[in-house]
Order: sequence, then C-alpha cells, then structure tokens
Amino acid sequence: MNKNNQNSSRPALSNYVFRPEFSSLLILIVMFTITAILQENFFTLKSIVRNINAFAPLILLAMGAAVVIISGGIDLSAGSALSLFTCVLTTVMKKSDPITGVYAILVTLAVAILVGVVNGFGIGYLRIPPVIVTFATSYIWLGIGLFLRPTPGGESVEWFRIFYNPGMIEGIHPYIKQFGRVIPPALILILAACLIWFIVSKTRIGRHIYAVGSNSESAYASGINTAKVQMQACIINSIFIFLAALFFVGQNQSGDARMGDPLTLRAIASAIVGGVAISGGKGSVYFALVGALILNFVNKIIFFADISTAYQTLVSGLIVIIAIAAPVAYTLYSKE
Amino acid sequence: MIVLEAIGIKKNFGGVVALSNANLRCYQGRITGLLGANGSGKSTMSKIICGVYQADGGEIKYKGRTVRYRSPSEARKDGIAMVFQNLSLVADLTVWQNIVLGKEESNGIFLNNDSAKELSRKILAQLLPDLDINKKVSQLNPGEMQIVEIAKAISQNPQLLILDEPTAALEQAQVKNLFDCMRALAKEGVAMIFTSHRLWEVMEICDDVTIFRNGENVATIDFEKDEKDPEKIISYITGDTQKTKVEKKHVAVTDETILSIKNLNYGKSLKNVSFDLKKGEILGIGGLAGQGQLELMHALAGAFHSLHCDAELRGKKIKLNRPLNAIKEGIVFVPGDKQLEGLFLKRSVLFNMIFPKMGLPGHPSFIPYDEYRRECEEIVEVLSIKTPTVDVPVENLSGGNQQKVVVGKWLPFDINVLLLADPAKGIDVGAKRDLYQYIVNQVQEKNTSVILYASDNEELVEYCDRVLIMYEGQIVASLEGGDINQDTIIACSMRLR
Amino acid sequence: MNLGISMFFERYKKIIVAFILIVLLFALGGIIVPNFLTVEQVLFTLKLASFTALFALCQMIVIAAGGSGLDLSVGYAATLTAVLTASVMDGQNANLGAAILIALALGSAIGLANGALVSFLELPPLVVTMAMANILQGIVNAYTAGRNITGRPSPILATLAAKSTGKFPNILFILFTITVLVMIVLNKTKWGTILFGVGSNETTAYLSGINVKAVRCVVFVISGILASLTGLLLIGNMGIAFKDMASNYVMPSIAAVVVGGVSLTGGDGNYIGVILGAIFLQALTNLLIAFGLGDAGKWLAFGIVLYVLLSFYASDRRSR
Repeated sequence: MNKNNQNSSRPALSNYVFRPEFSSLLILIVMFTITAILQENFFTLKSIVRNINAFAPLILLAMGAAVVIISGGIDLSAGSALSLFTCVLTTVMKKSDPITGVYAILVTLAVAILVGVVNGFGIGYLRIPPVIVTFATSYIWLGIGLFLRPTPGGESVEWFRIFYNPGMIEGIHPYIKQFGRVIPPALILILAACLIWFIVSKTRIGRHIYAVGSNSESAYASGINTAKVQMQACIINSIFIFLAALFFVGQNQSGDARMGDPLTLRAIASAIVGGVAISGGKGSVYFALVGALILNFVNKIIFFADISTAYQTLVSGLIVIIAIAAPVAYTLYSKE
Repeated sequence: MIVLEAIGIKKNFGGVVALSNANLRCYQGRITGLLGANGSGKSTMSKIICGVYQADGGEIKYKGRTVRYRSPSEARKDGIAMVFQNLSLVADLTVWQNIVLGKEESNGIFLNNDSAKELSRKILAQLLPDLDINKKVSQLNPGEMQIVEIAKAISQNPQLLILDEPTAALEQAQVKNLFDCMRALAKEGVAMIFTSHRLWEVMEICDDVTIFRNGENVATIDFEKDEKDPEKIISYITGDTQKTKVEKKHVAVTDETILSIKNLNYGKSLKNVSFDLKKGEILGIGGLAGQGQLELMHALAGAFHSLHCDAELRGKKIKLNRPLNAIKEGIVFVPGDKQLEGLFLKRSVLFNMIFPKMGLPGHPSFIPYDEYRRECEEIVEVLSIKTPTVDVPVENLSGGNQQKVVVGKWLPFDINVLLLADPAKGIDVGAKRDLYQYIVNQVQEKNTSVILYASDNEELVEYCDRVLIMYEGQIVASLEGGDINQDTIIACSMRLR
Repeated sequence: MNLGISMFFERYKKIIVAFILIVLLFALGGIIVPNFLTVEQVLFTLKLASFTALFALCQMIVIAAGGSGLDLSVGYAATLTAVLTASVMDGQNANLGAAILIALALGSAIGLANGALVSFLELPPLVVTMAMANILQGIVNAYTAGRNITGRPSPILATLAAKSTGKFPNILFILFTITVLVMIVLNKTKWGTILFGVGSNETTAYLSGINVKAVRCVVFVISGILASLTGLLLIGNMGIAFKDMASNYVMPSIAAVVVGGVSLTGGDGNYIGVILGAIFLQALTNLLIAFGLGDAGKWLAFGIVLYVLLSFYASDRRSR
C-alpha cells in the first residue's frame, strides 16, 4: 500500500520551491540588486567592509535567535543581554591596563553563559512560556546593565579595536592592518559563529535541538533531556550575542545599557524571514543570516533612495509578511 | 527462563486505584499477551515495567534483580524497550534519524550517520522493506509511522520488548510482517509483552495470556497447555458470564432510501464512491485499514470543503461541504479519535453536550442553562455514563464513558443518519456493549439509519445489514446476508474475491 | 458538597493566588513606604493598571481562541488611532463621534488584516502581529515625521480617562462596566461557548459545525477595535498623542494574562484574573519606584519577582 515511495529519493524541484528558504533567497537577490544599483560605490572594498560592519550585529543576533527558535523557544531578552555584555566589558576593562581586556573577555563570557543558563532554565526546566520568561529576564539584564553603566560610558583597552578595525590600533603590525582592511574582523566573528554552529549541527546537541523543537514530548519519550537541550540552545544564543558585544565595544569603546533594545525583534524577524519556523524544529541558522542581510539591505535601500527613515519599520514589517506568506500563498495557488 | 517477574504491584493516581495486586511473568523467547478492559490496569502495568510510572507497592524482578526504574531511560539501559502509539516520533526528522533518536552513535563528538542508516535499513528490511529511510516522518501514513516506532524499539536490542496496541494503525499485511518479526525476535530469545483489543490477534501470536480486571490479574492462560477459548477469555475480561452479544432482533430494513450518494470524489483518497442508504439500515464500511474509510466518514460529515459529490437526503439535494450543512440535515458524526476530534477534554460534560447546539442558526444568544442541564442529566442516565456530576471535566472520565459523551451530545438532535467512525476503538468491552445496544435500539425504535465504519470485522459481522468493502478509495464490494462473515470480508478486502 | 468546593479551588486557584499576592504587595508597601497604602495611592495604582487591563483584554480574547494566538500590534494600533484622531477631535466634544468612527474603522481594518493572515493563510500570530506592529509604527513615524502632533482630545475623553469622580478615577467605572459585559458574554452567551470550544479543540469545534477560521479572524478584529478605542482613552488620559505612547503596554498586557492564570494555549478566559494580573504588575512597579531604588534596582527587582512568580505558576506544567 505504500505508493508514496516511488519518487521520494529523487528530489523534485517542487520540493525546493515551496520551501521558505527559497523565497528568502529570491528576496535577498532582489534586495541585493536594488541596493547595488542605488549605492554608487557598492562594489568598492571600502563600502563592502563598511556594510559588513553595519550588518554584523544583526546577523549574529539573528543566528542566535534562530538557534533558540528552532529549539522551540524564543528570546525577547537578546537586545538587553547584548547591552549587558557591553556594560560588563567596559566595566572590567581599564584603559591603562591591557591585561584587563583579557579578564573582561573571560568575565563577560561567563556572564553570557549565565544568561543562557537563566533563560534556558526558565524555558526548559521551569517550562514557563518562553515569550514571558524572556520578557522577565530582559528586565533583569537591563537592571544589571544600568547598575554597571547608569549612563553610557566605561573604559576599553586599546587593543579591543581588533574586533572592529585593527588599523586603528597604534603601532599595530602593518600586515595585520592590511589584513583588517580586506577582511574586517566583523566577518571573522560571523565566520566564527558559523563555525560554531557547523560543529554543533553535526553533533548530538544539534540533532536534539531540532528534535526538541519539533516535538518535545517525543524527544522526552526517546530519552532526551529536553530541558538540558533547550538550555544548551540558549547558551549558544548567548555566545553569539557575546560575539556581537565584542564587536560593539571594539567599535565604540563604551558600553550602554539600552543600545541593544531595537535589535531584539529585528533578530527574530530576520530568522523568520530566513525561513525558520516560529513553531520550532525547522529551519536553518545559516538562512537566518540571509534574513538579516535582507532586513539590512532594506534599510540601506530606504536610505539611498532618499525615502524617509520613518518608513524603515514599515517596510521591514511588510517584508516579514511577504516572506512568510509567499510560500503559503504559492502552495495554495498551485493546489487549485 | 523468567526474564521479568512482577509481584503484588500497587499503583494509585491521586486516590484512584489503578493496580491493587498485579502479578505478571515474562519468559525468555516467549510472547506474553496482556488482556483487559480499559481501566483494568494492563496499560498501567506496562508503563510501570518500562519506567514511565513508578509502582507504589510490590516488587519487580528483572533477570533476578529487584529493580525500580524512575524513567524510561533507566529501563532502556537495562534492556527493556516499549513501543508507544506514535508518542516518540519527531515529525520533522527522517525515518533513520528517528530510529536512533536518543541513542545516536558518534565518532568523537560528531554523529555517525552511516551506521545509523545501516541499522535502520536492516531492521526495516523485515518490517517494511520498501520504506525510504530518508523520508521525513511527517510524510508517512499512520501505519508506516507505527512501523517506525516498532523499528525504533527493536533497534535498542532489548531483552524485553513491550508492544502496547501496536496493531491499531496497521493493515493486515503489516500485521503479518510484524508477527513474523516478533517470532524471529522470540527465536533470538527476546521476551515480549503484547496487548491488543483484537482477541484473534492475541490468540494468534501469544504463547500465553494474562488477563487483568479491576487492577489485578484474574487469570493466566498458557496456550500451549490450555485451549484457546474466546468466550472464556471474554468472560475473564468482563467478569461476568453474560454474553457480549447485543440483542439484535432486527426488523427488516425499510425500502425508503434516505441518503443517496453519487460520484463522491475527494483528492486522491476517495474515487467515485456511490451508494444508497435505506432508512433503518445499518450499513457497514469495511476493508483494510487506511483505504479511505475514515475519509469517507469525514466527507459524509461535511468536513471537506472542496468535496465533489451529488448527495440527496430523501430525494432533496444537499451540500456536504461544511459540517454545519450536514448537521442541519440531521447527519451527525461520531469520530473515532474521541480525544482528538470529539471532545473538549478540559471542559465539563455539560459543556461538551451542549456545544453542537451553538452552531445552529437561530440559537438564542443567552444559553438556557437550566433546560440544558436537565437535558444533559437525562442523557447521562440513558447512556449510563459514569460520572459524579455533569460539571466534571471530561478528561476525568474513562475512555468508554468519554465515547458515550461524544454520542450523547447528538441525542437532542433529529438524527437522520448516524455516522460512526470506529466508535468502539480502544474501548473496554462493557462500554462497547452499552454503546452498540443503544445504537441498535435507536435503529429499531426510531428507524435511524446508521453508517458504521469498524476496524474490527467482528463488529461489522455482528451488527450490519450490509457491508461495503473499500479498497484504495473505492467501493469494491457490497456484501449482504450470509456473505457478511469474517472470511468473505477479509477476502474482499484483499481483493481475493 | 466537598466535590464542589475542591473543584472551585482547582479552577480559581490562580486567581486566588493573584489576589493574595496583590494584598501582600500592598501590605508590604504600606509598611515600608509612607503614604503607599492611602486610598488615593491605591486608586491611582488601579487607574494606571486599567490601561494595561484593557490591552490585556485584547490579548485574552485572541489567546482564548487558541492556535498560539497573541496580538503584538495592540500598542501601535492604539497609538496610530490617537495620532490620527488628535487633530480631528481638536479639543472639541463635537468631533468625538467622528473620532470614534475613525477608531472603529482603523481597529477593524487592522484586526481584519491580522485575522485574515493568521486564519486564512495560517501564518503564525506572533510573527504576523509583530510585523503589523512594525507597519503601524512606520505609518505613525511617517505621519508624524518632522511635525509635532497637534490636537487635543475631546474633553469627554479626558473626563473619562484622566479625571475622577470624587476620589474614584472614572476609568475604573469604564473598566468595571467592561468587565461585567465581558464576563456575561463569555460565560452566558453562545459566543463565549463557541470561543472556548474553538480554543480548546479546534477539530472538535469544526466537526460540531463551527466555522473555526471565521472565529479566529473575528477575535483579531475585536482585539483591533478594542485596542483602537483604548487609544482614545490613552490620549484622553495624557492630553496629547506621541509616537511611543502605548509601546510599554504590550508586553505587560501579555504578562497580565499569564499572571492572571489564563492558559496561553487557549480555551480559557477569566477576565477577573487578568485584571488582577494587571493590578499586580502595576502595584509591583509602583512599589519598586516607591522604594527609591532608581532605574537599575527597579527593573532588576521587577524582572526577578516576575521570574520567580512565573516559576510557581508554571509548576503545573511541569508534572509529567
């Protein structure tokens, strides 16, 4: 009675077209083209580097958001966590003492893991709806951030610029300076995140993140510690946010308890546009990167087309709806 | 050699006694059947053995050692595996990923996918050779999903394998494969516990049978020594010698055609289905599982918006594209999966009973609760629904009583055609008897017409005036009178006649 | 009737807990902070909580219909309404009618768009309403770009929302009336039953003859309309309209539903619990401000208390 086996091993084109990743790629190509047309010096090295730097934070947060969403959760505290990490970095560091930079990185990394644990504990072990629990923790991170940095500021060591533009560090070796001109550190941070995810996705943790997000009851019945897996997903997210914080402090040399707020929803939107299903268990972290690129290009287009920046949120809202409606509408249309 | 011995097991669930004194023995290389009504404790017993629940009293000895598992993982480590009813598959992962889920092998930290695929192919070779292991489980049909569940349990190389109603979703051919597989495992020394509501399956595959009633085991029959007497087994299960056969002094069916269906088509599931239903007739729908019977029932209930069909009720054309249209014509539907489709579990009996009225046009804005409460209490009486009050949440009731609520909610309606989609599935013998008694009464007293789909051919033989056999979405045979028997039904189902 | 009493406690457990918590909060505040427990202060807290409670009603209705329903666009629906009607009302009562019509039209349009996307295209509500909020925010931004929003609310609105009768803030009367209406509709009419059925089990509701898609669409329309009307009350309270005037109500409106004991999966809807949830959140915020902790301490404590509270509320989800 199994008639559906016949062609299943040969992937039909229709299998790909209906997938959300396909429409996100299409949209990306469109956005990329329009931006390239509008921005005159788009293909110059300087401009590419500047774009990568501008896009990096959202990309990192979007990838982190994707991991959490795939595991069945959602993180509304991402922006606050990012702010908190910048505050911790700039509080531990003392401009005059280069070694404090290393301490700062270690301490902030520990804080990041703790943030992931607290979120993961609430989502996984306490089984509080993720929307609400990360809403609560966003205030905790904000409170601690404000405690450390009531006003934006703080100190940073000189060599922290290596996370943004090594060329700005005095007395830096010319090779490194040249390298940083061509391959911006932001790109390296993004690649680091991709590498982390690449490794995770090939391990048990990666498989289990998808399993738990798809059906946590079944995963539990199969002997998987679902709470632990969701916590692991939150920790991975925190580490990606940590990388973004390194970039920010490298760029601005200061910390700010509220700087990350606008990024939270944009990160989630990026993941969704990139094809991650909000219900969990489906989607690709790499395509969340695509989603972040799309949203970033949209802002660039609005800027270069001289449209009022007031329309930024409007257009990104429309993009999200188009991105999620397109595969569905196409499926419905082709069924008739 | 005794693999598992359970002695004097007790289990309470918040004051409700599920097991009071349960004993069980499983032997290496033998298949032990567990029989019993819903609520008899047999399912609880299985779950305690494999670690889903913990016993409140008594002792379990596994391979001679006393054990107490606090989770399925602990039991799994000891070599006990349980096949659930589709409770442990992840829809978005592939077949092979599901089979090794939770016990993936790795080279260092990286997963070893090749060995996982190899293992999956090997196990499925016996159960379902044609299955593409790279398909996502979401693309499988229920029978295939059940097979994957079974494969998953077998892949753990258990020494004790517990199969809880594994055949419910399977077709005859798949059941045969499963039984062959089980016999092969038995030869390798695996002990098995097998439960099913289909008596003939238990009698075919099991070496011995332990029967549960009211939380304790009341009899053990060894099929090698004793003979296989279904009547005796049933009497152990129900606890009385009263026969389960319902009195069917069925008056001749009238000549009036109440429902006429022509050219019913729905996607790939139903093709050119046409038949007539006479007033007062009990029409059975049979065939192998998954041939479109459930789809047909849903279609007649109006569940499919894009249905193509010429339907006439008493000669008048009707539309079956919305459930409301069917209900307005007096065609009411009792779904088989009551929890999924027939009930609001957390709501009271009263809520469930009055709900279908809400959709009817002309229903008053303010609900006349007094009147409805009285009506509901009457229905509870008529159907012998065991519940302390009508305000109790339906999820507290046993399966059989839940099904009675599903039927009961339609009683206030003027029923022309009663659609029953496997109403007795998974229900204990007593409730089943009540249900069918009521249905037969309705037919006799009010000449209600019934379309009955039953996965258990016995029910078709027992109650139906006529049986339509379905195969691949079409009606391939119509049986009447003396042709309505197990052999003919099965033969037609498999297109042998 | 022991069964009756124990069942009563089961069902209303969370509401009773919420009520006790509020009493504790006020008691604590009364002890530590002077003037915290005065009638004026308590009523003031209730007044502020009313707005959250109104937005929470939008959420509750959408959530009750099931399907992971949520409406993140209520904030900007209210803001856009306030911004657009400010100049229409222009401080005159005569134009209030027009303002209300605009609010109804806007709310319906927003709700219909949300409802159609969620119900008929089956897109996830969290994402749809989040995107809708962005779209509405963009419209607000574009409309107010470069200019201040002139226009004052009609005096009637100011009376209803901002002023008091004696010591009693008028908005409490509005909330009370709405509560009574909501409880009657939900518990005594067929629409309430239909809503709870759809949220409890959409398949069973569908097979019982209910148009589930229509119900799920209508709840968004209701939410949109309620949010828009609340926008009128907001501008009445604040006297002017500005860009972010309702953004801070969105997440608390959802939190109020959870603290009030209403299930986020649907099928349930006790508005009294939700109001208590809103009061709790407001009382907590006020208490923390009164402690004089400053922003850092205030938000930190708020987050921790909420986290701890939620861990107790979610305890019944943990049993396996």
